[in-house]
Amino acid sequence: MSAHDQFHDSDEEEEEFNPPPATASDDEGAGQSLEQRRRPRPEDEEDDEEDHEQEQADHDDDEDEEEDEDDEDDVHGGSRPRKRRKAAGNAFIDLEAEVDDEDEAEDDEADGEEIRDFIDHSHPDDVAETERMHDDRHHRELDRRMQLEAGVDAEEQAELYKIRYGRKHRKRGLGDGNVMPRRLLLPSVDDPSIWAVKCKEGKEREVIFSIMKRVEESQGTNREVSITSAFERGGPDSVMKGLIYVEAQRLNDIILALDGMLNVYVHGKNHMVDIKEMPDLLRIQKTEPLQPGAWVRLRRPPKHNGDLAQVIDVTENGLEARVRFIPRIDYGGTSNNTTNSMFGKRKRPAFGHGPRPPQRFFNETDAKKHDPRGIVRQGNSWLYRGDEFENGFQVKDIKIQLLQTQHVEPSLEEVTKFANNGEDGNENLDLGALAASLKEGSHSILYVPGDTVEVYDGEQKGVVGKATHVTGDIVTLQVTEGGLQGQSIEVPTRWLRKKFNVGDHVKVVGGSRFRDEAGMVVKISEDRVTILSDQNSKEITVFSKDLREASDSGGQSSLGQYSLLDLVQVDSTTVGCVVKVDRESLGVLDQNADVRTMQVSQIANRLPKRKLAVAADRNGSEIRLEDVVKEHGGQQRQGKIIHIHRSFVYLHSNDNKENAGVFVVRANNVATVAAKGGRITGQSASSGPDLNAMNPAVQRLNHPKQMAPPKIIGRDKSIGQTVHVKKGGYKGLLGVVKDATDTHVRLELHSKNKIITVPKDTVIFKDKITGERIDITRRGPPQRSGGLAPPSVDRSWQGGRTPSGSRDSGRTPGWGSATPSYGGSGGRTPAWSRGGDGGRTPAWQDGSRTVNPYADGSRTAYGGGGGRTPAWSSGGGKTPAGDFGSGSKTPAYGGGDSWNSGSKTPAYGASAPTPGASGGPDWGAPTPGALNAPTPGAYSAPTPAAVNAPTPGAWQSSSWGGGGDSAPTPAAGAPTPAAGGMYYGAPTPAPYTAETPAASGPRYDD
Amino acid sequence: MPQSENYVAPGQHRYLRACMVCSIVMTYQRFREQGCPNCEEFLSLQGSPEQIEACTSQVYEGLITLTNPSKSWVARWQRLNNYIPGVYAMKVSGTLPDDVRTAVEDETGNKYIPRDGTEEEDPGRE
Repeated sequence: MSAHDQFHDSDEEEEEFNPPPATASDDEGAGQSLEQRRRPRPEDEEDDEEDHEQEQADHDDDEDEEEDEDDEDDVHGGSRPRKRRKAAGNAFIDLEAEVDDEDEAEDDEADGEEIRDFIDHSHPDDVAETERMHDDRHHRELDRRMQLEAGVDAEEQAELYKIRYGRKHRKRGLGDGNVMPRRLLLPSVDDPSIWAVKCKEGKEREVIFSIMKRVEESQGTNREVSITSAFERGGPDSVMKGLIYVEAQRLNDIILALDGMLNVYVHGKNHMVDIKEMPDLLRIQKTEPLQPGAWVRLRRPPKHNGDLAQVIDVTENGLEARVRFIPRIDYGGTSNNTTNSMFGKRKRPAFGHGPRPPQRFFNETDAKKHDPRGIVRQGNSWLYRGDEFENGFQVKDIKIQLLQTQHVEPSLEEVTKFANNGEDGNENLDLGALAASLKEGSHSILYVPGDTVEVYDGEQKGVVGKATHVTGDIVTLQVTEGGLQGQSIEVPTRWLRKKFNVGDHVKVVGGSRFRDEAGMVVKISEDRVTILSDQNSKEITVFSKDLREASDSGGQSSLGQYSLLDLVQVDSTTVGCVVKVDRESLGVLDQNADVRTMQVSQIANRLPKRKLAVAADRNGSEIRLEDVVKEHGGQQRQGKIIHIHRSFVYLHSNDNKENAGVFVVRANNVATVAAKGGRITGQSASSGPDLNAMNPAVQRLNHPKQMAPPKIIGRDKSIGQTVHVKKGGYKGLLGVVKDATDTHVRLELHSKNKIITVPKDTVIFKDKITGERIDITRRGPPQRSGGLAPPSVDRSWQGGRTPSGSRDSGRTPGWGSATPSYGGSGGRTPAWSRGGDGGRTPAWQDGSRTVNPYADGSRTAYGGGGGRTPAWSSGGGKTPAGDFGSGSKTPAYGGGDSWNSGSKTPAYGASAPTPGASGGPDWGAPTPGALNAPTPGAYSAPTPAAVNAPTPGAWQSSSWGGGGDSAPTPAAGAPTPAAGGMYYGAPTPAPYTAETPAASGPRYDD
Repeated sequence: MPQSENYVAPGQHRYLRACMVCSIVMTYQRFREQGCPNCEEFLSLQGSPEQIEACTSQVYEGLITLTNPSKSWVARWQRLNNYIPGVYAMKVSGTLPDDVRTAVEDETGNKYIPRDGTEEEDPGRE
């Protein structure tokens, strides 16, 4: 007899203190239970008599035992500790032995009695005694019965007992718990408490068994474990993982019981479970049984981990399901599967590492080809390498614990694969089953406030309302229809579905393959909604949960890395513009104006947008992105340039509905309508210099001006200038420029020992000495002087200048370049400045000293002789002219012209020192005259050259002021003769004068 | 020292099954050799693999070590209080075949209460 049984028995005996008589009575008795428990044991095999006797003995025995125990109880009083129980056990064993003896004795006695009775009875004399008669009858009856029973074999006997006692016993066994509703079983304060004990996650079950082991091993020892139960509710998804719960009277019992046990941390913080919460610990939730047609995901075989499968059938007990799924067969591969199954685990390849074969329907032809012996036909299905296939699907019986039945969420894509393989080729998609599968995953349904929802289950079934609030899976709705209208109710999401009406414009937001499709609801059936897609006017059916009311006309605008209007490389010679984005493909308008539908994989790559791409239109004007151009001829379509690729221009127009408004034309077949940002295009520019400027050939021939003078030479001309701040916090202060950039100057203030940085345009340059204002900004404006200094003129002019030209023939290009750069549209300003700051100073020196001012190339030429001298001379001229507003240029211009035309004389005269001399009242001496005159002249004249010009002026003036420099003198002197002579003839003036026009001409003109 | 017969080594856990009637958890082998200690009378699992397959389940949740069924509230709640000590499951998935079910109900005289959570009644609601 096992320890339990003892344990158990003694327990029961403890419970049942009022056992009924051993004879057949309807009462439930411990004795019967005992007997029942023993019945299956070998006693059955003993012969009838003994068996019967044994049973009887047992009954007696039990009675005795009970009595004994009662006695014991009486003796020991209320205290019945473990010790006592042990004693009871021992007593039981002892008793059993004793009882057996007694039993036999009793039996003997009984026999004896019976015999006596029999004998007594056989005496006919005593018949009169009624009492005795009665006794006799009783005994006879018993006797008969015993004889009868003796005749029946052991099995029948067992059956008999089963019938006689078994049922009642079991009624008792399962009964009282079963009939009692759970609410009457709620824990009370007298029940043991439950403590939560931490344990290692995933080891919960092991721990439970370890506890069992320890409890059993401690039975009968003096360290008996006295917990009443322990349980776990682990599992990967459980909130109770990492915990076991132990039920015991005292915490100390638990600590003793679990002390030193592996994976349990009983010495940590143990939390006692509140009595109210105890039932919750044991709450279980029914898992919905699998229904045929439902969707599941496979966990095994590993090759198919995660694959979708459909339940075909479920075994009766619901523990195994027959599923079909799309096989992953590697026909070409060696028949690994069979060898694996033979060698078992060891050779099983580790899936998850290598690539697994793709899902493909079973193809018997392929299978035959590769492994003709491995395939067997079985009626409707095929057996191939141990797997069964039906209609292309693999069919397999899988235990449900190897199936993922929750959160399957099959996508329509996956499901359609199953559906498409219907034998008749028709879709036999069971949307109902799919809906059922999806309903489980309802946690993923997103309701947002504002959704119109319908309650389709539960107490409020049929209620329609607008969601106002969503918390977890509870949605609060404002009822909009029916009796509850205006009320606010809370409904769990699983009872909800979104409600739409026919005609609603909706968008697919859920995980279906129609995601982002938008359209109009045309049909609603249950929770399946058919919508007419906006994009391709096809009807699609989706679940209402995947829909949301939409105002936009949907359609995704990108697929992978490609989005609408992107320029993509179609093949090595073709590009295209994405004009349509579908779910799986792109519509691409290629450069030949054909629209192709392409898979993402067919597209080589996306071409980055080149912001600086330039092309020329049919007029030769440059066109850039976002310019508006018009097709020449053809349909005269007009559009904005979105891409320029070589000679093709992609245009977008909102008037054009086709191809998302995109069309492609050749660049030389469009004319500019408007350039972005009002950029002046060739059409509007009078001379159309842009193209020429772009054409090196032309430039070399006519306008060798491309070679702009080197840009940064020497220091910024403004450095050292005295300036006056006209704006900002330092407004009004005077300072000296210590440093300058293109846009800012650093000023050392006169008033304060401080250096500040201010934008260049907030300072006014002033003459250091006179304090006169020098309008720097005026020099800057782009001058359109190019026109007036046509190259030919320059040339001729240069020609005229032969001497100077001859002086350094190498310089000629320099000259040339300088001149056109003046004349040129773009290059002018910088040219000026360059000439100004860099060239001038040295030029001066050069000019004055070396007589070969042009020795060092264009720069010198430029700045040097050219720039300055004329400036000077013109300055002189201008001085009389007075203000050098814009007017100043005119004479300068005139000068230029006059040079060319030869009618410079007046111009020259005007600008020449002569007037200057004469005009300048103080000009008695050239020096002052030069001083006064040139300065403003220089300053005011070339606005763009503003900086440059003044500097020299300043320099000069200062040098003049110093009276030291020889340079000015000749300069001053130069004009004089020039003015006086007004001739080109003289080389001396010529260089000066020559330069003058060159420099000044372009400079001022405009 | 008594031997621990209800202990199952972790390596054997995969063979564990739970009786759908009393929810006791034992190895398949033990079911076959000894039958269900609580329900053998009417389930007759001993030596009958088919019967074991039909009446026990590999899918169960929540293990309970029951050492003192009569004192334990957990046992009472789970209606295990008249069973032998041992390891039980909280929830046993699977459905008893109809004939067995009828037999069980006949034998016990009570309606069979499945252990798969169907019975779960909310005490708070009543």
